[in-house]
Amino acid sequence: MAETTDMIEVTINKDVLVIGCGAQGLESAEAVAAKGYKVVLVDDGDVPAPASADIEVMANTTVESLAGMTGDFRTCLANGSGRSDRTFGAIVVAPKYGLAPLNEAYGLALDDKVVSMTQMEALLGDAAFKKTLGQGEGKTIAFVSGFGQEGDPAATSRVLEAALTVQKLGNARAYIYANNVKVGARGLERLFTLGRNEGVVCFKPLEKPAIEQGDTLKIVINDPVVREDVALEPDYIVVEEEVVVGRANLDLAETLRIDTDLDGFIPSNNVHRFPANSNREGIFVASTLEDAPNVALRVADLLASGVKSVAANAAVVDETKCTICLTCYRCCPHGAIFWENGIAAISPVACQGCGICASECPMDAIQIGDFTDDALKADIEGAVASVSGTPSIVAFCCQNSALEAGEAAKAFDTELPQGFRMIQVPCAGKVDVEFIMKAFVEGADGVMVAACHEGNCKAERGSTFAKWRVEEIRKRLETIGLSKDRLIFTTIASNMAEEFSMKVRMFAEKL
Amino acid sequence: MKSQSGKVMVVGGGIAGLTAAWELARQNVSVELVEKSCFLGGYSIGYTCKATDTCQQCGACSVEKMLKNVVGEPLINVHLRTEIGSLDRSDGFKISLKKNCEDMAEALVLKGFSRHNAPLYVRGKGVTEAAPEGAVDIEKMGSEGDINVDAVIVATGFTPFDAEIKGTYGYGKWENVITGLEFENIVRENAGIVRPSDGKRPEKVAFIQCVGSRDERLGNLWCSEVCCPYAMRMAGTIKHDNPDAEVSIFYIDVQNTGKEFPVFYEKIRENVRFVRTIPVDIYPTENDGLKLRHMAEDEGSPSFEEFDMVVLSVGLMPGADSKIVSETFDIPLTVDGFLDDSVDSGVFVAGTAAGPGTIAGSMAGAGKIAFDAVKYLGGAK
Repeated sequence: MAETTDMIEVTINKDVLVIGCGAQGLESAEAVAAKGYKVVLVDDGDVPAPASADIEVMANTTVESLAGMTGDFRTCLANGSGRSDRTFGAIVVAPKYGLAPLNEAYGLALDDKVVSMTQMEALLGDAAFKKTLGQGEGKTIAFVSGFGQEGDPAATSRVLEAALTVQKLGNARAYIYANNVKVGARGLERLFTLGRNEGVVCFKPLEKPAIEQGDTLKIVINDPVVREDVALEPDYIVVEEEVVVGRANLDLAETLRIDTDLDGFIPSNNVHRFPANSNREGIFVASTLEDAPNVALRVADLLASGVKSVAANAAVVDETKCTICLTCYRCCPHGAIFWENGIAAISPVACQGCGICASECPMDAIQIGDFTDDALKADIEGAVASVSGTPSIVAFCCQNSALEAGEAAKAFDTELPQGFRMIQVPCAGKVDVEFIMKAFVEGADGVMVAACHEGNCKAERGSTFAKWRVEEIRKRLETIGLSKDRLIFTTIASNMAEEFSMKVRMFAEKL
Repeated sequence: MKSQSGKVMVVGGGIAGLTAAWELARQNVSVELVEKSCFLGGYSIGYTCKATDTCQQCGACSVEKMLKNVVGEPLINVHLRTEIGSLDRSDGFKISLKKNCEDMAEALVLKGFSRHNAPLYVRGKGVTEAAPEGAVDIEKMGSEGDINVDAVIVATGFTPFDAEIKGTYGYGKWENVITGLEFENIVRENAGIVRPSDGKRPEKVAFIQCVGSRDERLGNLWCSEVCCPYAMRMAGTIKHDNPDAEVSIFYIDVQNTGKEFPVFYEKIRENVRFVRTIPVDIYPTENDGLKLRHMAEDEGSPSFEEFDMVVLSVGLMPGADSKIVSETFDIPLTVDGFLDDSVDSGVFVAGTAAGPGTIAGSMAGAGKIAFDAVKYLGGAK
């Protein structure tokens, strides 16, 4: 590896764009402004006036396009009065998700007796309506929840609050039909208990309740406690709601080139992202109120005083080799690659140094910081040469996971084969076919590519690329007369020293 | 963006304390990190990875990463085996530190869970095992004396529920009844789950949820939030390592793991049996087995079922030091006995000291507290 790293200073724009003015968007804008940065808060709808005068507000505005890079994001903001080009150092996404009633899951149509949770909350804000619930014999309200979807503590909290409010109104009675009661948040178990002590009845049938919607409403369940059918004719049924991502958020994620999770929520479900990061440096996500101050910390970390010191050689493109094939642009998980003067260029601020681009580049035109092709080849030669004893095993270890586990395994004196050597790589995605073959040529008996588990890769897809390459080479080994079992791909977490040793020992035994 | 100054004491070196300390240092605030035990990372540094072929987002590896950040950060000064003596608030915070005098002789040679725990080894009194290189004499550890700081973040964490209180489960009596916390450590040390009695892989495992949590009789009216996630993830790893294993989870209500829960839950239900009832008691059987009695949901009478191993999903209780910390720093206790995190007089509360939470939640919360503390320093100066 290289001895020294040249640093260069990059000027960074200190303005911050906050997209979305839900509670967490407003809070994020305030928190970032409190750190001394100029904030532009946009929303595709109305924007309430923020408390801070340092926040510029643009209502009914969407982000039409994004170009440039971290520290120099060039956006086109569009609204009724036209388009404006604005540059920002960082972007904060505070997605606003919608709610949709799940009445169809229960075979119900919404009317004045069957209402959504949101509608009931509005009704309970109306004093006249509340009075009708408690008067005379009192009305019966049934809440159905957890059968149209799994639900979450936020939804449960709304049901419990509303049921308790109803129960306290004169002779009104609240019933909850729940699947799993999601009490996994501060104060909810206490609220749940309080409700039951006040007389709220909670049924937890194993099957979705059968509901008749005619002149009267009727809910029938088989109660697992008393083991018989229980029928109720409520005056109102309140149906649960699901959180919907919506087209606008998906479009925004695409415009900003940030990953979503399986359900479409921003950002991807990856432990390296929490609490407030996306896959792109400089684009942060505030999903909850608690994320807002975290977003502000990350913004302050990045923008600092407007000058960032970064490694000059983070990722360097050889202009004589680049043929503008777009491979690197497509495979970069951090959106760090753009075009300049007819060749690919890599932003040293946005680049995370994973090296996926360098391995995928068909022209070998990209070199990564301390992990140049020459440096890694020298590491491989050195590793194999230093081995005494058999079998000799070369393990390419991702520095975010396997390398940590391997170093700990050594430090804790776990049993490792004598001929075992580790080669540090920035990400398993940096392990070229060429490196693996080089290890065999140098005389390694076995080669191991040790990566992060899928979904835990800091570069999102680095371990996936590595796995594909290993599978490909295993096929090729057969055709050249080597056993495919001399090469394996494995996944390991940074804290699993003993598991690491075990995997290496098992591989050595097989060899 | 102006350079921040000031000094903050972080009390507790678990994931919340580590995160708060690191975030403060990132904002150029110097930190005195005080930890009463001999190593950093609290309970969470001992947790195991719960990935199958894919990451299950438990966050255990994040603790490793944060510990690495902290020990490499020059603005953070770490005091191990150190406790708070007294506090004088007449001018900022003058805090006296004292060595933790807890007798650690029995520990002999303590091995940290992470290589980033420096020193890796601590020698106690009467060590018979040869002291490894880098070992430190326990008597020499710990700080004494006064330190002046501008603010304090209390991150003293939780105490796992003492499973012996639920006597009918036989924890402490039957070797193969273990807690979730012990499961974490066993897997970490053995690269897979094995039974304490014979070191063999269990073929039939039961998890009992809400041990100590959601228990009106004990007065514990809270959900510990982490036990359903850890039990389901552990169940997944057992099935991944041994597809023939039979795993059952006895529960009241299944709580969510976080993002992508519906997909996770659907997948885990394909492999793991969920039984909605909390078992009554456990008896030992031949071959170190365990007989579990429960009221099965579709029958009216008690059922007996045998298992090789039972995991008690113990909940998160208020930290053992809550009361003393509450008195020293004048932080009110909540109705549940946790520290009230709404205080804002230069003393802040982070992590599970204020109530149950996950690793991810503790990290996000600690970030928020660090932000608030920096804001407080700005206003105080």
